[in-house]
Amino acid sequence: MNATVGPVAINTFREAVRDRVLYNLVLFALLMIGAAILVGEISIGIERLVIINLGLSAISIFGLVMAIFIGVGLVYKEIEKRTLYSLLAKPIRRWQFLVGKFAGLLLTLGVNTIFMTLGLAAALVYVGGHFVRSDASILVAIYFILLEFALVTALAMFFSCFSSPMLSTLFTLGIYITGVFADDIHGIGEFTKNPAVLAITRTLYYLVPNFHNFNAIDTVAHGGAIPFSLVWQNTLYAALYIALLLVAGSAVFSGRNLK
Amino acid sequence: MSHLSQTRALWAALAGVPLLFAAIAALQMKIDAGTRAYMEENEELLLRSGSAVRKMSLGYDSLLADLYWTRAVQYYGSRAGFANAKFGLLWPLLDIATTLDPKLIVAYRFGAIFLSEPSPAGAGRPDLAVELVKRGIAENPDDWNLNGDLGFLYYWWMRDYPNSAAAYLQGSKNPKAPSWLKIMAARVAEKGGSLDTSRMIWSEIYQSTQDKKIRDRAMEMLRGLKAREDETELDELAQAYKIRFGHFPDSTKAMLDAGMLRAIPVDPAGYPYVFGPDGKSSLVPISPVVIPPDLKAPPEVSK
Repeated sequence: MNATVGPVAINTFREAVRDRVLYNLVLFALLMIGAAILVGEISIGIERLVIINLGLSAISIFGLVMAIFIGVGLVYKEIEKRTLYSLLAKPIRRWQFLVGKFAGLLLTLGVNTIFMTLGLAAALVYVGGHFVRSDASILVAIYFILLEFALVTALAMFFSCFSSPMLSTLFTLGIYITGVFADDIHGIGEFTKNPAVLAITRTLYYLVPNFHNFNAIDTVAHGGAIPFSLVWQNTLYAALYIALLLVAGSAVFSGRNLK
Repeated sequence: MSHLSQTRALWAALAGVPLLFAAIAALQMKIDAGTRAYMEENEELLLRSGSAVRKMSLGYDSLLADLYWTRAVQYYGSRAGFANAKFGLLWPLLDIATTLDPKLIVAYRFGAIFLSEPSPAGAGRPDLAVELVKRGIAENPDDWNLNGDLGFLYYWWMRDYPNSAAAYLQGSKNPKAPSWLKIMAARVAEKGGSLDTSRMIWSEIYQSTQDKKIRDRAMEMLRGLKAREDETELDELAQAYKIRFGHFPDSTKAMLDAGMLRAIPVDPAGYPYVFGPDGKSSLVPISPVVIPPDLKAPPEVSK
């Protein structure tokens, strides 16, 4: 499997680099530099807080945009440019192609996130002079953001297996926003006390990926610790959901007539 | 396109783009000048509900809280010190910031100062400041500083000494709280409104804060309290002078000549005190010292 998935992943990463995807790092660096210099001048007492909040939010937003907009085009572009046909003529299965593409984009997002994390660390040192023990929690929050990227990438690729990039973007964004509001959807059902509404909202709550689970920015910004149980539970949750989406996506993609 | 045409186009762009930008900037300045008064009069928040903003933040609520707090600081900074300044949006901005991030301690602490200071230094709404700090205590029960702030708000702006003592006492129950909170609780309960208690509160604020503006404000208050104490003593001496000489002294020098003073007393800024015909001492008009309000008198709260 590695012999087939690996090269697809590496090539996907190379393609992203060639497409200057990592140029967003320049914008991130400017954002961090600007915040580090300006916040002390225009606000009171939140220099460090802003660097953490802004840094983590920017890592999350930049990555999500990349995951969605690159993810929806990964399969579609190969079909459009007809490069998929020459690829599938080789001893590679469609699900391996899909997993390879997924891994490649995840690698891109991972590299991007590592550079952004270094930028965030540099900005933190600039405003605070040194790291504090609770800063270790920031790395856990970044790990959660990476899990979120993986989940969104899997979603985008799943939709791109059977629809156009435009529709896939809308579907992925729709599911993402629903997932962010998962807790509220659950709350609406509880609030109405209507058994039918409660059943619908409860089903929806367990059906859509709960992105609220992965948001630890508030906690770490105030120096709070993240329990280890949440780390493994989130990891397992993301792994299961990604497996589900990739299996479903592979099934759809394998059955698709590419003629 | 020929090379000559390309060169011409490049030069045209080099000259034209800055010119067009300059024209746009000039036009924007004109628009700003025309609409500034209108904008200030009609300044409004699109969303006043912190819960609604939180829902729309898509999980980035703490970043939005920072932005709203920064906006509150800017809003306050652009108005504080100006006569007839209105602070109508200060409370909604602080409300949204602290709803988005209930652990944003700085917004409770400084927000309470912005709200409680009388006009033109602030909104003159200590009642809202108390509400804000109470909310902060409910969200952050481990932060004893907020109890200290609440005690101060009740003491200084509301002159509600029983509630002030209760707030200090509540804060003193926190294992991390310094011992002065307990002393303050007893002191306020026993001698609320006295100069000694006021001096003790401002001294603690001066020593405990890291913020330069708050330190300066505390120092200003301590100087004002010292002047008030001096005036009280001089007024008593003036009464004694009248008993002795049949009239009030016209200056501190007259009291010095009568042997009632060992030296000419000066206010914390170095200016001598003056006497009115009624024998009441006061600061010279050019003295920068500001005497704080009489805490025995009822508070003034603007609504």
